[in-house]
Amino acid sequence: MIILGIDTSGYVNAVGVSDGINVLADASFPAKTDSLEQIVENIDSTLKKAGLTLKEVEGIGVGLGPGSWTGIKVGVTVGKMLAFSTNKPVAGIPTLEALAYAARDKSPLVGAVISAGIRDAIYTAFYRVKNKLLIREGDYFVGDVKDLAPLIKEPVILVGSEVNRYYELLIKEDSSLKTKIKTLEALPSGATIASLAANRLEQGKSDNPLSLTPLYLKESTAKVFTKKYSGGA
Amino acid sequence: MLILGIETSCDETSAALVADGKTILSNVIATQLDLLKKYGGVVPEVAARRHTELIGYVIKEALDTAGKTLDDVEAVAVTSRQGLIGCLMVGVAAAKSISYAKQIPLIGLHHIEGHIFANRLSNPDLPVPHICLTVSGGHNMLVHVQKNCRYKVLGTTLDDAAGEAFDKIAKFLGLDFPGGPVIDKLSQQGNRQAFSFPRPMIRSQALDFSFSGLKTAVINMFKEKIASDEALPLADIAASFQEAIVDVLVAKTLRAVEEHDLKVVSVTGGVSANSRLREVFAETCKKKGIQVFSPKLSLCTDNAAMIAAAGYARMMLGERSDLRLNVFPNAPLGG
Repeated sequence: MIILGIDTSGYVNAVGVSDGINVLADASFPAKTDSLEQIVENIDSTLKKAGLTLKEVEGIGVGLGPGSWTGIKVGVTVGKMLAFSTNKPVAGIPTLEALAYAARDKSPLVGAVISAGIRDAIYTAFYRVKNKLLIREGDYFVGDVKDLAPLIKEPVILVGSEVNRYYELLIKEDSSLKTKIKTLEALPSGATIASLAANRLEQGKSDNPLSLTPLYLKESTAKVFTKKYSGGA
Repeated sequence: MLILGIETSCDETSAALVADGKTILSNVIATQLDLLKKYGGVVPEVAARRHTELIGYVIKEALDTAGKTLDDVEAVAVTSRQGLIGCLMVGVAAAKSISYAKQIPLIGLHHIEGHIFANRLSNPDLPVPHICLTVSGGHNMLVHVQKNCRYKVLGTTLDDAAGEAFDKIAKFLGLDFPGGPVIDKLSQQGNRQAFSFPRPMIRSQALDFSFSGLKTAVINMFKEKIASDEALPLADIAASFQEAIVDVLVAKTLRAVEEHDLKVVSVTGGVSANSRLREVFAETCKKKGIQVFSPKLSLCTDNAAMIAAAGYARMMLGERSDLRLNVFPNAPLGG
C-alpha cells in the first residue's frame, strides 16, 4: 500500500511516502514558528516529487507525538481530516516508535527520547526489537532525564534529537552507564511513519479518523485564563 | 453555493453547512461546558485539546444533519483571525485539509465579522450601512458596518467585555457559569433600581467601554453587606448590576448611531441574547425611530453558520485564502 506519512511533533514538518518496504519520498521542512502554515504545501510538494497525487495514496500515517503540543494537534488534525475527506484508512503512530525505528538494526533494545520542552524534561519509551519489529517495553516515561538513569539496566541505544546531551547528563548521574548507552541523533521521519502505518494498515488495523487524538503524555498545568482574549479593535 | 463553515476560536467547536450565504442546512455546536465549569473558565491548552477531539465529529454531524457529503461542499470557510491561538489552529488545520483533499476554495475569516454576519444571516432584511454592537464574553465592540464587508471599528473595551463582567459577578455571587443567562433570569425577580451602580464612561465622548469599575463597585458593596451582616438580596443586586451594563451598552450604541446619522442598529454576540438588553434597545430605538435587529438565540453565541455566511460574502467579492492560511489571534477587524 502506498502510504503518506506525516509528523509535526518536532521543529520540522516531516513528510514521507512509503509502501512499507520502499521509501518513495522522505522530506523534512523547517516549521519556523509553527507547523500549520506550511504543512499542507509540504505534503503536496513531497507527493509531487514522488510523482504522486493524493488520489494515488492509499492510506495515511500520522505521528501522534509526544512533542510540541501545538505541533501534534496540527499534524493529527491534518492527518485525520485528510483521511476523512478522501475516505482512506488512517493509522496513528507514536512518534517515539518512529524514532526507535531508526535504530532497530543497531541494538536489541532501543530507547527513543523526545524533549518535553522544559530544560531536561523528556518523554521516553523503550522498545525491544523482535524480528525487526519494535515492541514497547514498559510504560511511557515522562520526567527529568536523570531519573531515567536507574531504569537503564542493560545495553541500549538512545535515539532522538538531543540524545548526545542527554547522554552526558546520564553518565553524570551514573558513570557506569558509559558502558551501557550508545546514541543515535535522529529526527522523526515521515517515511518511517508511512512504513509503520503501512504495516498496520496492511493488517487491517486502521484507526477511526474521527476519534484519533494526539499522544500528549502530559496534562496542561496552566491556570485558568481569567480573561478570554483581548477585544481586538 | 454550499459552504462548510468551521469555528474553533474559543471554547465552542462548531461546523455548519450554509447554502448561498443564507440558508442554514445545519449548525452543529459542541460546547465545553463541563470543562468551563471544572476550571471556572477557559484554559487555552485544555480547550484546544478538546477541539482536536471533537472537530471530526462536529464536521461529520454537520454534513449528516444537512444530508450532504463533502462531495457537495463547494468551499470551506474557517475562523482564522481573533481568538485563542491553539484553538484557532485546530479549525484551520481541518479546513485546509478538506480544501486540499477536495480541491475546493478556502477562506479564512475574522471572528467578529462572523458575529456581524450572524445578524445578517438571522435577519435577511438587516440593511447596510448600520452600527453593530458585538458583545460577548470575549468581545465588546462598536463597529460601523459601512458597506458589505467594509468596517470601521468605533470602540472597544478597555478592560472586560460585558459578558466577562456577567461571568465574574455571577461567580462572585456564587451563581452558576456562564453568568449571563443566570443573571438575566434572576434579574427578572429583582428590583433594578435597588442599587445605584456606576455606569462607567457613559458620559464620555469616546465610544470605548470599561466595566471593571462597575465590577469593583458591585464586589465592594457585596463585601460591605457581608461585613455588616446585612441581607443579600441577590435578585436586586443582579438586576441593578445588569441594568448598569445595559444602560452603558445602549447609550454608547445610540451615540454611535447619532454620530453617524444612521437609523439602523445591529446587536449581536452572546450578550445580545440578554432579555433586558433586547427590551431596552427595542424601547429606546422605537422612541427614536431607529430600527434594531438581533439574531435568533442560536446565532448569538459562537457558531460556524455565521462564519459560512461571512465566507460566502467574501467569496462573492472574489476573495480566497491559499493553503498557507495561518492564524492571527489578535488581528484587528480590518476594512
